[in-house]
Amino acid sequence: MIYLDNAATTLIKPVSVGRAMLRAMQECASPGRGGHRAAMRAAELVYRCRETAAELFHVPDPSRVVFTMNATHGLNIAINSLVKEKTKVLISGYEHNAVTRPLRQRGAEIIVAESPLFDSEACLHAFEEQMGQAGLVICTMVSNVFGFILPIRKIAALCRARGVPLIVDASQAAGVLDIDFQALGAAFVAMPGHKGLFGPQGTGLLLCGQEGEPLLFGGSGSDSLLQEMPGYLPDRLEAGTHNVPGIAGLLAGMEYVRERGAEKIMDQECALLCTAVEELRDFAGAELFTGQEGMQSGVLSLRVRGMDCDEAANQLSERGICLRSGLHCAPFAHKSAGTLETGTLRMSFSPFVSESELRLCCQAIRELSQRKR
Amino acid sequence: MKYLIMCKSLTNAQRASLLLERRGLSAAVVKAPQSLRANGCGYALSLYRRLPEAVEILKNGNLLTGRIYIRMEDGSYREAASDDLSR
Repeated sequence: MIYLDNAATTLIKPVSVGRAMLRAMQECASPGRGGHRAAMRAAELVYRCRETAAELFHVPDPSRVVFTMNATHGLNIAINSLVKEKTKVLISGYEHNAVTRPLRQRGAEIIVAESPLFDSEACLHAFEEQMGQAGLVICTMVSNVFGFILPIRKIAALCRARGVPLIVDASQAAGVLDIDFQALGAAFVAMPGHKGLFGPQGTGLLLCGQEGEPLLFGGSGSDSLLQEMPGYLPDRLEAGTHNVPGIAGLLAGMEYVRERGAEKIMDQECALLCTAVEELRDFAGAELFTGQEGMQSGVLSLRVRGMDCDEAANQLSERGICLRSGLHCAPFAHKSAGTLETGTLRMSFSPFVSESELRLCCQAIRELSQRKR
Repeated sequence: MKYLIMCKSLTNAQRASLLLERRGLSAAVVKAPQSLRANGCGYALSLYRRLPEAVEILKNGNLLTGRIYIRMEDGSYREAASDDLSR
């Protein structure tokens, strides 16, 4: 099998991830649910994960690192905390449904800072123009469909200058781009554990610049006489038993990222992107969506001329090649890029993808297209 | 002598314990006795010596969030007085 759907989930993880999860299942109970050895072992592990995340993402206080089920969960907490009915929310033209659906559910007024694909300046300009009417800004760091790297630092600076709170969706950035929570000054930054941080599915992180409103209510192991959730982090946003094996895996994944370095991982993925572009650039049967150097992460969307993208993905799957097709839960991004009618075929990389695997995939795409003709 | 420094949360207790450890003081994170918690379950730091020094370090690190108790010989606790906290 050739796996090139890493923007959805990194399937191949460092060996340490599975080992850490197994050990946690066998040795750790639940943090905050007792003072015995098994509970305290779990508490130590969970704290180490918070501390590692705080170091990796420049969060001054590990208490502000909250565990979630995924980025969607974190974004829902953030949106639930800051959006009331009719709140005017300015978003980029590349947001995922994980942002736009909760906004709709809350009754927000959505304003889209529309900009062409891979045009960083136009993106910033669009935010600048419309920020005056916004009560909140939500922006992804990287488009999950196209790998377009949005100018988040400049957008964050605009938000700080205008006093508008910012929620950042770092789903495609965590593990490959530097995320400096303190420098961004964001209200919240949400990210999944199961993509670039190499944790298992069912894990995520929410970095909190403020206390936030809980989505779930229940036991926290603290202030049990009170019938309200505690007023302090992380307990306020972490009701119920933690996913300790998942957190153990996420810790091992983040340790891998820290040892290897996000920049190096990004370089490796960009080298793979270059290989794919070289392989398919001169091939008339494929339409590639590429940006200039530094504008695109290790994600490449394409269309096979004259072929439905889902059909193409199905045929590649029959040959053991895993690519994602369709709208990738991001219709706003497709609208911005002019691909809403067709969707795209997406290949996305990780350090565990080899160049030879990628070349085989490109060869298969060429053959598909030629067969179609 | 055993001292208990009450903490607002488990994570707060862990941060405090690590800070003390980095400054050469040993303090274990323990479940706080119910009788000492106005709002029910919680955690505390348990230490046996150098209380004034520990309190000063935690104060400076903004990690002193709860009351401080001293365990008496009969097993009961009394809240630390200012004399207990002076070096």
